Amino acid sequence: MAREECKALLDALNKTTACYHHLVLTVGGSADTQDLREELQKTRQKARELAVATGARLTVALRDRGLATEERAEFERLWVAFSGCLDLLEADMQRSLTLGAAFPLHAPRRPLVRTGVAGGSSAVAARALSARSLRHEAEGDFDVADLPELEREVLQVGKMIDDMEMKVNVPRWSVQARQAAGAELLSGASAGASSAGGISVQERPGPCDPSKALAATVFSAVLLVAVALALCVAKLS
Amino acid sequence: MATVAGCTPHGRSSRTQRPHLSKMERVIVSMQDPDQGVKMRSQRLLITAIPHAVAGRDVVEWLVQKFCISEEEALHLGTLLAQHGYIYPLHESRDLTLRPDETPYRFQTPYFWTSTLWPAAELDYAIYLAKKNIQKQGALVDYEKEHYTQLHKKINHAWDLVVMQAREQLRAAKQRRKGDRLVISCQEQTYWLVNRPPPGVPNILEQGPERGSYNSSRVQMSSDFYKCEIERFRKALGRNRVKSSVCLEAYLKFSSQHGPHDPILSGCLPSNPWITDDVTYWAMNAPKVAAPTKLRVERWSFSFRELLDDPVGRGHFMDFLQKEFSAENLSFWEACEELRFGGQAQVPALVDAVYQQFLAPGAARWVNIDSRTMEWTLEGMRQPHRYVLDAAQLHIYMLMKKDSYPRFLKSDIYKGLLEEAVIPLETKRRAFPFLRKPLHSSPSPVLQSTPEEPAVTSTPAGGNGKQ
Repeated sequence: MAREECKALLDALNKTTACYHHLVLTVGGSADTQDLREELQKTRQKARELAVATGARLTVALRDRGLATEERAEFERLWVAFSGCLDLLEADMQRSLTLGAAFPLHAPRRPLVRTGVAGGSSAVAARALSARSLRHEAEGDFDVADLPELEREVLQVGKMIDDMEMKVNVPRWSVQARQAAGAELLSGASAGASSAGGISVQERPGPCDPSKALAATVFSAVLLVAVALALCVAKLS
Repeated sequence: MATVAGCTPHGRSSRTQRPHLSKMERVIVSMQDPDQGVKMRSQRLLITAIPHAVAGRDVVEWLVQKFCISEEEALHLGTLLAQHGYIYPLHESRDLTLRPDETPYRFQTPYFWTSTLWPAAELDYAIYLAKKNIQKQGALVDYEKEHYTQLHKKINHAWDLVVMQAREQLRAAKQRRKGDRLVISCQEQTYWLVNRPPPGVPNILEQGPERGSYNSSRVQMSSDFYKCEIERFRKALGRNRVKSSVCLEAYLKFSSQHGPHDPILSGCLPSNPWITDDVTYWAMNAPKVAAPTKLRVERWSFSFRELLDDPVGRGHFMDFLQKEFSAENLSFWEACEELRFGGQAQVPALVDAVYQQFLAPGAARWVNIDSRTMEWTLEGMRQPHRYVLDAAQLHIYMLMKKDSYPRFLKSDIYKGLLEEAVIPLETKRRAFPFLRKPLHSSPSPVLQSTPEEPAVTSTPAGGNGKQ
């Protein structure tokens, strides 16, 4: 059905926008490489494709006059979420344009800011593109070639937003969000519980996964030894 | 970061980066130089080691060396950097100050640099709070909880997006290494500490009233611009100028003349009502009072305008003119004032009445106007409006000013008024302080509403202000 399709597309766009945001955070920092710029480019391409597809579907659905009111309300909700997502994407793209121009990688006029982020971000990009892993094929001066492209794409997204505003008139304030305050705690518990132990903003160190396995095996080994000793003591006495 | 939805959606360039922020950015970037930058060390956690930590002491030392300033100044500069979020402490992450010892700091990523080009948006803050909510299982700090509920009300329509984005951003973050995740969450926390400070912490991005419109609108230096400028300066050259010596002379004269009359400069007799709660001063200087004070009568001699503006003075002037048989001048002037400031509907009738009474040949109270002014007035009266008698009024005004007014000042009436005028006595200070009236501005409504309690300030204790 059209609604499910739109929802699925919107979810995919949302995921890609979140990953893009996460990647843009590290531009200009110590983890800024040509690979990162390439990942940014691929992610935003995917995001743009999704945006165009979602926009087309939603526009078609909302311009259909013979739509029932609750269906229409549903589509309007999706529309508001979609346009918000697109605004976020556009803003992030603009930020990445200015930051990418300010921190060029090829002839480092400005040294990159040493932020402490050192690892790669290919996993994030892979998640965005829904691929297993990512191949990097960037040449040495990818970021230079990419900047004008990025500028054009920013303008394109802007134009897309404007077009959609023209075609479909949905007043934002009339849309009631379905999620109540604190809704993220309910079904997001699965995402929450696993990350609550790991991420904490105090510098309290937590065990990372291989270390957790190591600790578990050590503990079980100690337990076995204790049980064996107790049996021996029991047998002896 | 999203812009405020719908505000300036796709048009930029109305915002500029504030200069002090650009300067701080340059300082931070120069700190990153691998040869001449700040010494970096590694932060050791239990399992992971995160690089690029800086000790507070090193930052201060580097600033002293680079800018050749004293240590105090370097500490101040470093504190500014920390307060604006360019450096954040690793241990007490909520306290953004620079300590010149071994406490480690780290640099903020350029995305999260404080910027007026990209102001922090409510949607982003909502997403951040939602993420924090998920991570802490609902245990947000008080002010954050408040903000959360407020935002839920304010941007309720976008709440679906907030929840979706929060979840997805957390999932995306999980794809990173442990150390990177930690660093990024610290960075984000610092960003929001700067942009949405907790209660009690001053907001750095606030501009004082004097800073106002710093935004220098970029002007295009085109030929049109220069043509406009040339025209403007040409007009400015042609303006009348008064020599400053002349202006200042007039100003000095005015100040010295009015100095003794100013209640703030020379005190007011009997006493300042705002201080002693005694309204005698106002009662004695009311617009229509029978016995004017000496200062007031003296003021009538400063200029004709002063005399006419004071109702008591005008009354006495009218008496004088009646003795001189030229009272119709003043009456005509008053009638013209009434016309000028009266209602629009009465204008035609009033113009007619004035003409009949004062200007028509053979009128009862005929005023002496020269022929040219009379011609203009008669012509204007064909289409009467409220300013039609202006020329005649001015003529009569100048006549009175040049002729009657000096004679009034020399007359017996005026001299008699000067002698009779009252000089109020200053209120005596009570010798014993406990008998002095308590100083309250006005009776408190709380006290007045409970009548069984004695009203504290209703009557002055003792006859302080009365002579």
